[in-house]
Amino acid sequence: MMKNRVTELLKTEYPLIQGGMAWVAEHNLAAAVSNAGGLGIIGAASAPAEIVREEIRKCRELTDKPFGVNIMLLNPNADEVAKIVVEEGVKVVTTGAGNPGKYMEAWKAAGVAVIPVVASTAMAIMMERAGADAVVAEGMESGGHIGVTTSFALIPQVADAVKIPVIAAGGIADGRGMAAAFLLGAEGIQMGTRFVAAKESIVHAAFKERIIKAKDIDSVVTGTSTGHPVRCLKNRMTKEYLRLEQEGADFMELEKLTLGSLKKAVIDGDVVNGTLMAGQIAGLIKSEESCADIVKGIVNDAEKLLGTSQI
Amino acid sequence: MLEKLIAIIEEQLNVEGTEITLESNFKEDLKADSLDLFELVMAIEEEFGVEIPSEKLENFTTVGSVVEYMKANGIEI
Repeated sequence: MMKNRVTELLKTEYPLIQGGMAWVAEHNLAAAVSNAGGLGIIGAASAPAEIVREEIRKCRELTDKPFGVNIMLLNPNADEVAKIVVEEGVKVVTTGAGNPGKYMEAWKAAGVAVIPVVASTAMAIMMERAGADAVVAEGMESGGHIGVTTSFALIPQVADAVKIPVIAAGGIADGRGMAAAFLLGAEGIQMGTRFVAAKESIVHAAFKERIIKAKDIDSVVTGTSTGHPVRCLKNRMTKEYLRLEQEGADFMELEKLTLGSLKKAVIDGDVVNGTLMAGQIAGLIKSEESCADIVKGIVNDAEKLLGTSQI
Repeated sequence: MLEKLIAIIEEQLNVEGTEITLESNFKEDLKADSLDLFELVMAIEEEFGVEIPSEKLENFTTVGSVVEYMKANGIEI
């Protein structure tokens, strides 16, 4: 039985969160993860605020378990989405790309658990001080927007730096990863890529197949020169992007290549020109499974590896 | 005075030898990313014995904006 501070905070069966991936983390996937005993997350990303409200309501029709919303703070709609989660009674918010400080008071008053995604100990400390209930420490093995430190190095350092629970993310896709994260000081895990390839994920079959066929060295990082590094699977787009980057192309030129490219990959299944956001652990994922099987399998394996006394 | 703050900025952002003025923009001129700013604020807190709320970070665009914040909060720099 994996009961700890994270399950207490999330009110879930297991200390396992689904990442708030843009376009991917919609109500079907979130509900499936929550029904499996984890915490499903609706990724607000850059969606209009009212769409997020719809997603929350649709998710609630599919599950009576708790689920959360991920808010990307750089998004112009962030203020509005921050209000909507309160209005709709969402009890967990994870935040990305910035600093949720200014929303903290309203969320706390509404009993929302706030879990910022952090990529450094300094950020974790600042978030703890601002009133965060936990942090997701995300290593650069992750897919999508990343920091610079690996999970293996980041998790124990963040765990030492803060008293609130640390949820590990980046490079975890099985029970071994979960157990390792716990040994490094985490009390929960967040997974993205594994759920992108889940049965209930609405991601186009061609994208899922790229993940399932991916090898350990198949991801690259684009956008380092722009200050917004993104990890995704290699394809023609990344090749072109990296070539332009090496030639010193400016931000606008690079933007042209990736404008709408995540949607292209996720919805249209364009694996040639789309951005196939995925983590380094994609190579470990061998089949499309249901969220229930994924969650149960990972938790069972982790429990066996750790022994019940450690959890 | 300002020298202490500039020394911290130089060390945290690895910009020794770059001219730093009140107008220096952290992102544009000193090439700091968002994680760098967290590090910088932590170092400033330690040096000056203050606590800067995290929501103030987004106002810190230039060296001058930090100086202003410190002055407004009665912190000698």
